[in-house]
Amino acid sequence: MFLAWKEIKHSKTRFALIIGIVVLVSYLVSFLTGLAYGLAQENRTAVDKWDADGIVLTNESNLNLNSSMFEAEEQDYVTSDEKAVLGVSSNIVRIDGSEDTEDNINVTIFGVESNEFLNPEIVEGDTFEEDTVVADISLSEEEGLQVGDMLKLSGQNREVKIAGFTDGAKFSVTPVLYTTVETFQKIKYDVDIIEENQEYPINGIVVRNDGDIDTVSIDSDDLEVYSTSEFINKLPGYNAQVLTFGLMIGFLVLIAALVIGIFIYVLTLQKASMLGVMKAQGISSGYIAKSVIAQTFLLALIGVLIGFGLTILTGFFLPSAVPYQNNYLFLVATMASLIVFALMGAVFSVRTVVKIDPLEAIE
Amino acid sequence: MKAIELNQVSKSFRDGSKTIEALKETNFSVEPGEFVAIIGPSGSGKSTFLTIIGGLQQPSEGKVMIANEKFSELKEKERAKRRFKEIGFILQASNLVPFLTVKEQLMLVNKVEKSTINSDRIHTLLEELDIIDLADKYPGDLSGGERQRAAIARALYHDPTVILADEPTASLDTSRAFEVVEILARETKNKKKATIMVTHDERLTEYCDSVYVMKDGVLERQTDK
Repeated sequence: MFLAWKEIKHSKTRFALIIGIVVLVSYLVSFLTGLAYGLAQENRTAVDKWDADGIVLTNESNLNLNSSMFEAEEQDYVTSDEKAVLGVSSNIVRIDGSEDTEDNINVTIFGVESNEFLNPEIVEGDTFEEDTVVADISLSEEEGLQVGDMLKLSGQNREVKIAGFTDGAKFSVTPVLYTTVETFQKIKYDVDIIEENQEYPINGIVVRNDGDIDTVSIDSDDLEVYSTSEFINKLPGYNAQVLTFGLMIGFLVLIAALVIGIFIYVLTLQKASMLGVMKAQGISSGYIAKSVIAQTFLLALIGVLIGFGLTILTGFFLPSAVPYQNNYLFLVATMASLIVFALMGAVFSVRTVVKIDPLEAIE
Repeated sequence: MKAIELNQVSKSFRDGSKTIEALKETNFSVEPGEFVAIIGPSGSGKSTFLTIIGGLQQPSEGKVMIANEKFSELKEKERAKRRFKEIGFILQASNLVPFLTVKEQLMLVNKVEKSTINSDRIHTLLEELDIIDLADKYPGDLSGGERQRAAIARALYHDPTVILADEPTASLDTSRAFEVVEILARETKNKKKATIMVTHDERLTEYCDSVYVMKDGVLERQTDK
């Protein structure tokens, strides 16, 4: 550590440049991590908020909520600790009175029963009733909607009123509007009156069963229970996004490691004759190698910490439309892997140190 | 007790089909407090001789004893440890670490050994060598003579038995060269070191107790000294 730090202090410019590169890479990596996480969250937060163990869908649906359709009565075939019906509809809404298509907002409508556990927590306003909705708070933050605003459904002569807001209600990167099952049915099937003898299917039954979906019993050949995590992975586009980002971040970490490794390697080669003299004096390869590793660690650590700080700082100034979210666990994990891989990159230099022949330094 | 003792040491290299005898069979010893000069033309085997004593290469035959220990028979790692403890090197181009101040050069010894830094000792040494004012300067800011004095301080700091100086005055003008050799002679006497100085400048030998001439791998003692 002694040699490592003294050298950094002595050749400030040189090491500042190396640290600068580490900063940029770690900034990029951690920022991408935040974006990846934010985007993943926008796909799934509504599902996470359910705090459920599984979801019952038709077995032909391929875990796609929209293609799973069955009648609400079929919930009687499902035995679980807790269950809640869910109807889903993708729609476009526009604040009432606007004729500008720029004001169109993609939303997902969730039809839920107010006495079941899918009924969301209200952060502002009141809960929903017939023809009113509880909307995701992002509609207030990004679109400026307020409690009492009327939303017109495009393609229908129908309006819903915002009764209140909830938070963390995003599904497939759209804000969710929670409403009653009946209102959902009216919107989805574009009917004004729900008739008793008419069939208006719902899409799924969300179950809570003490963390175990294996004991959820279903007395129907058409229905099947899937775990929440399986359901999330099968959300359209979700896996592709997560894998793409994961691959990018992984490659960046490797490239960063390579860049740091090469820098350290070149610096070591440059110092070879000096290191030879040190070895001639009896300073062991182990000690010199340790100081090379310590130096790599210091450079990587300083760079990563600055990059980390920049990322957190940037998070504060981003407009809320950017799907950026910090997850400190992921951030710390990527930063740690950056440092670990950088240290692995320094191994080349250790080999060089070991191979330096002190005799050549003397003669 | 002999500080350095060479028993029938020789060194030969294979160069293709030929065998080159860089050092013919040599018996040689140095007492503590003795300042020995080795002179000879370049390529005569002086450096080979010095690096064998320093344990940087193994003799082909014979054995090297440093402080009554069979130095040449130790394993490489063990030899490096003994070298660190028992031998102080002073090389022609300065063997100082460019990014450490003069004071830190000495502190490095403690860092490597994981021992505590002896500030008093550093202070005394630097004062003796008249470079105390340069304690916080980097080697790049020193003159050649000052650098060699710092190198002497570095070599003396861990209190070795032996000091090996390979052309310590090569980059110095005459008056500075004399000054450095004089210091080296003084420290050898005061601290009872066994010092071997390899040089090609015969004028510097006036400070030495004995002078050897190396010629074509044969070491001969000069009789007039």
